[in-house]
Amino acid sequence: MKYDWQWSVFLQMASDGSGTWLHYLFVGLLWTLATALAAWVIALTIGATVGTLRTTPIRWVVRLGNAYVEIFRNVPLLVQMFLWFFVMPELLPARLGDAIKQMPPPWGSYVPAVLCLGIYTSVRVAEQIRAGIQSLPRGQHMAGTALGLTLPQTYRYVLLPMAFRIILPPLTSEFLNVIKNSSVALTIGLLELTGRARAMQELTFKVFEAFAAATVLYLLTNLIIVLLMRVLERRLRVPGFIGSAPQGTAGH
Amino acid sequence: MIEFKKVSKWYGSFQVLKDCSTYVDKGQVVVVCGPSGSGKSTLIKCVNGLEPFQEGDVIVNSESVGRAGANLNRLRAKIGMVFQHFELFPHMSVIQNLNLAQTKVLGRSREEATEKSTALLKRVGLQAHAQKFPGQLSGGQQQRVAIARGLAMDPIAMLFDEPTSALDPEMINEVLDVMVELAHEGMTMMVVSHEMGFARKVAHRVIFMDQGEIVEDASKDEFFGSPRSERAQVFLSKILHH
Amino acid sequence: MFSGYDFDVIRRSLPYLFREGMTFTVTLTLMAMTGGIIFGTLLAMMRLSRFKVLGLVAGGYVNLMRSIPLVLVIFWFFFLVPYIGAWIIGADQPVAVGAFLSCVITFTMFEAAYYSEIMRAGIQSIPRGQVAAGQALGLNYWQSMGYIVLPQAFRNMLPVLLTQTIILFQDTSLVYVISVTDFLGAAAKIANRDYRLVEMYTFVAVVYFIICFSLSYLVKILQRRIAIVR
Repeated sequence: MKYDWQWSVFLQMASDGSGTWLHYLFVGLLWTLATALAAWVIALTIGATVGTLRTTPIRWVVRLGNAYVEIFRNVPLLVQMFLWFFVMPELLPARLGDAIKQMPPPWGSYVPAVLCLGIYTSVRVAEQIRAGIQSLPRGQHMAGTALGLTLPQTYRYVLLPMAFRIILPPLTSEFLNVIKNSSVALTIGLLELTGRARAMQELTFKVFEAFAAATVLYLLTNLIIVLLMRVLERRLRVPGFIGSAPQGTAGH
Repeated sequence: MIEFKKVSKWYGSFQVLKDCSTYVDKGQVVVVCGPSGSGKSTLIKCVNGLEPFQEGDVIVNSESVGRAGANLNRLRAKIGMVFQHFELFPHMSVIQNLNLAQTKVLGRSREEATEKSTALLKRVGLQAHAQKFPGQLSGGQQQRVAIARGLAMDPIAMLFDEPTSALDPEMINEVLDVMVELAHEGMTMMVVSHEMGFARKVAHRVIFMDQGEIVEDASKDEFFGSPRSERAQVFLSKILHH
Repeated sequence: MFSGYDFDVIRRSLPYLFREGMTFTVTLTLMAMTGGIIFGTLLAMMRLSRFKVLGLVAGGYVNLMRSIPLVLVIFWFFFLVPYIGAWIIGADQPVAVGAFLSCVITFTMFEAAYYSEIMRAGIQSIPRGQVAAGQALGLNYWQSMGYIVLPQAFRNMLPVLLTQTIILFQDTSLVYVISVTDFLGAAAKIANRDYRLVEMYTFVAVVYFIICFSLSYLVKILQRRIAIVR
């Protein structure tokens, strides 16, 4: 049993005529990154807010935060993707819904994908932030209060700066997760890296060349991000403080 | 029965054992003492190969421990060991702890093993606790179970690595009593311990170690009567009068 | 607001959704969990072994699996398994492998990477004295692992292993990309046939939520009980 490898396929013209297949996959990688980055902005904003709120002493706020986390954690990403793409436009007022449905490609897929991934990831970011804040010694909070800082000030100047440094490594892996998870958007028609590898396989029948190339591109992206984050971690390191990150154990 | 021949051991460039030579005869009780970090725990773990060493050899029952390809598992099955922190298996009941190696290593049937274990638990005064889990017992009780676990293998010798140093003071005696009884029965024992009362009562010889060396190796009366080395004198005065 | 909707479609398709779809999803989850934990434990033991080569191989595998998207892995195995099958039986054409078997292999291989990280942490959490005590009794490597280290590691890690299994349960919905009829796939078929996307996808989301939420709640209780026993 032999598979007929034919790597030269990457130099042939892609079916959409925009360039070679290599170029075609590379554009896919750019869409992957564009989706992941936009989703990451949403995830960090909402995640930091929800995560912080869940550590406050205000009971109903904590409950609301918990409910948010539970809802988006217990529904599969793909199902959420379908909810954003198929269901959300129907539930909105008719004019807005129609406008969303009529967005030209790829934006009609891109926008729901970003929203979906952003909110899905925000839940995991929120968990990390909460764990990070709760891993700080209780005395830190009291010291802030004792200095006369208000609760928001204590968070802003005392707790969050330390918490963010502690959870930088798990946040890195969450960012890597967004990149990987963005591949789910191919189900709603976004031609990101995996989607393009799949399309290339269908059009050229070069199954393993296409998937191997996508795999290598994912690995390289991972490697670059991990290296960049290491530099960032070193820059932000607080002298004399050995950060012990709360272990995110189960997960992808 | 146990013979150390110029045993040396290094952790990287740090030498933890320096040319250690000594012996334990059949039926003898030898107590090893010395300040912490002196290498006494490392020394006793060389007997059953839990700590590999780079130079010299240990001969147990005319078998070499250091030789490449030595059948350590067969040797270990013949030598009981009791640890500082008991190391009972927390997910098994007391009786299961005693039965495990009897059935899996010695190949005894379950009935045979249980019979043996029950008798030993009775001997250490814990037959009522056979079905309990280690976490439900006090430290002294756990250590007595650990001794019974070692005895269940019908060992030719028993090794004790600081068996009482992790115990609350009021529990030390219940463990020492079991050990004294064992010594009177003629068990060959090598004991790392600071319990000088125990040493006075049953030891034949006392070994004093410091910085990886065997500084003094003398009969009990000699050691307590007139220790030759200054280091042993200082050590003795520290632990006897405080 | 719900005037234009037909929620009766859910009632009508319930037997199909659960008897076909959910059965597939649950069977796949359970088989991949079993296979994944066994293979994952082996990977963890390889990574912790004295033999550097084994550690490198296992580490490389785990990192590779954790670096690429599950969707891509599903595609890989969907096309690769027929070739591997041919290689095993010595055929010169790719052999047809059923969708179910292909999915079981894919998820076992993929989740094993994640289970192995959990088991590795579990094994490392067992004090070294436990292994020494096993050795002192004459137990060999496999006996110490099988009777002393793994049972404890498994017990300590049970909540995390179960949480990972809930994630696996959710992940199986991705078999949609190779057009397999799992729970979501069954719902999608009905949704497209009757043009009832809103009703069907909302229902799917609710069912997944109820199952996963209840399971994570049970895991939390279990976690608390384990914490007390220790």
